[in-house]
Amino acid sequence: MELDELKYQLKNKLSTDHAGRSPEDIAILLTHKTSSIIEKLKKSLWIEIISCIIVVIAFGYIGMAGNYQSLRVYFSVFALLSVAFLLLFIYLLRRISSLSNTTLPVKGNLQIIVNIIEEFAKRYFQFTMALIPVCFIFAFLVGYNEPKSIPQLDRFAQRLFSHTWQVIVFIAMYMAFLSVGIYYFTRWYLKKLYGKYLVRLKECIAELTEE
Amino acid sequence: MASEKEFISLLNQHQKIVYKVCNLYMDRHSEREDLFQEITLQAWKAYGNFRGDAKFSTWLYRVALNTAITFFRKEKNRPAIYSTDIVPDQPEDIFDPIEEQVKAMYAAIGDLSNIDKAIVMLYLEDYSYNEIGDMMGITANNVAVKMNRIKVKLKEETQKHLATT
Repeated sequence: MELDELKYQLKNKLSTDHAGRSPEDIAILLTHKTSSIIEKLKKSLWIEIISCIIVVIAFGYIGMAGNYQSLRVYFSVFALLSVAFLLLFIYLLRRISSLSNTTLPVKGNLQIIVNIIEEFAKRYFQFTMALIPVCFIFAFLVGYNEPKSIPQLDRFAQRLFSHTWQVIVFIAMYMAFLSVGIYYFTRWYLKKLYGKYLVRLKECIAELTEE
Repeated sequence: MASEKEFISLLNQHQKIVYKVCNLYMDRHSEREDLFQEITLQAWKAYGNFRGDAKFSTWLYRVALNTAITFFRKEKNRPAIYSTDIVPDQPEDIFDPIEEQVKAMYAAIGDLSNIDKAIVMLYLEDYSYNEIGDMMGITANNVAVKMNRIKVKLKEETQKHLATT
């Protein structure tokens, strides 16, 4: 039998499991939280925003009250960078809120969600990568130029290394391995979080596009 | 809030639409409940933009299908055959060939992709190809092509389902 011959029965079958909800049940449902991917992204952004605010306050304080010049410079620059990232995250949050709209046609809605996730992943990746030079190279430079000697650090270096070149090679290798590790870890993490979902949405768009 | 009351009343009248979408997209009862909640919340969030220039039922179909297609859930071990627990089985001694056909086609619809399911659902609701195209964001011509392909596929899959039972 063809679809058209069974249309009526199929329609009935689809709506048979209909327990029915009272207006009170629906009102209770409205107090719950949604679990959509857009809400998950917004939640992630809120966590980033709160973290940034904490970092700005804490690092700003160390930047002003630290004992060593290197620490003051390092944490002040980090606090300023966090202000920039805070503004970026607020921009992303506002953009996601304005774009998410389930009343669009299915294809348009899918494209917007894909764009939002891709933009979020791109910015998140840029954010993490931008922190690498700050964390390692900048820390090394300000530490190297610190006018006051740090006794604990000096004792530690003397115990491990006998020549200056050994220190430089150790720091260079440490930075290189950690940078490469963070690069691949961030890529893997973003792919794990959104990769499968993005593939699924893109498949739906491709299916809608094909004639 | 007046608009909240109005929304609840409208959703209460049209909740069958949401149930249909949930039944079509989810196998398990708990998943259907989750999707019902998600569609209700998304519809409430979007209700501020509903201007009444389209019928509420059409608007709700659009929100429900968008939500169902993009619903994020972890993949579980899903049964290979689409659940047909919606209508209780008839006793074994009463064999109804039409009912068997309906069950087989229902299972075949369950095996379709999320996009094809949406198109079939709107077709079953007697929307025109133009209206389906508007809701899906594609041309009426594309809907017609897809619908022809879906009908052939459903016929073949129904035969396969019948052969295995």
